[in-house]
Amino acid sequence: MTSLHTINKTPSSADLQSCAKFLSEGDAILFLEDGVYYSTDTKKWPVLLPSTKIYGLEEDFLARGLSKTIDNQIELIDFARFVQLSCEHHKIVSWL
Amino acid sequence: MNTTNSNTNITLLARSAPYGSDAAKLCLDISIAAAVFEQTVTYIFLDDGVYQVLNNQDSSAINSKALGKGLEALSLYGIEKLYADEDSLRERNLSLNQLLPQVELVSAEAIKIFISQSKSVMTL
Repeated sequence: MTSLHTINKTPSSADLQSCAKFLSEGDAILFLEDGVYYSTDTKKWPVLLPSTKIYGLEEDFLARGLSKTIDNQIELIDFARFVQLSCEHHKIVSWL
Repeated sequence: MNTTNSNTNITLLARSAPYGSDAAKLCLDISIAAAVFEQTVTYIFLDDGVYQVLNNQDSSAINSKALGKGLEALSLYGIEKLYADEDSLRERNLSLNQLLPQVELVSAEAIKIFISQSKSVMTL
């Protein structure tokens, strides 16, 4: 069963490091709220599975002035696509 | 692994240290509520959450209810085993003999399977 992992805190939370340890094939990661700051230093990311899709909620990037410098590993999505992704995966794991 | 976990309904990932916030207490409440409604709960302590399962907690010193006592009582609700992430313990210089007796160490690989096979996952 696949999971959509959501991360909503800044990199100092190390949530991405925890999440990365438990990724399965077909899982995806979505950065939202303060999680979008992960986009500013992708070199510090842990190793992810090659199959892991990475998404970012566009509204939160725009609000924080990050939309221009976005790394091309991250696909920006809107809320409608967020809903769609929620349905495409068996469950959501929110790293709180 | 597949057969033992396949009927896990809820996996709880407890990731916060106890007492500093109410997250640890809330997670315990969720586990009891779920168990009362006959859900199969897999309770995993991860990152700072491993501090919740240290033995010898005496929270009367800070006028709080002992979290460890609550966790020990979970067997009454059918939650016999608690799991702690071995990497999180190692990173914090802790070992199994410092933890509550019903805690079992698990690898990242095992936790990955719990997450993948569970119907829902909650982190707190």
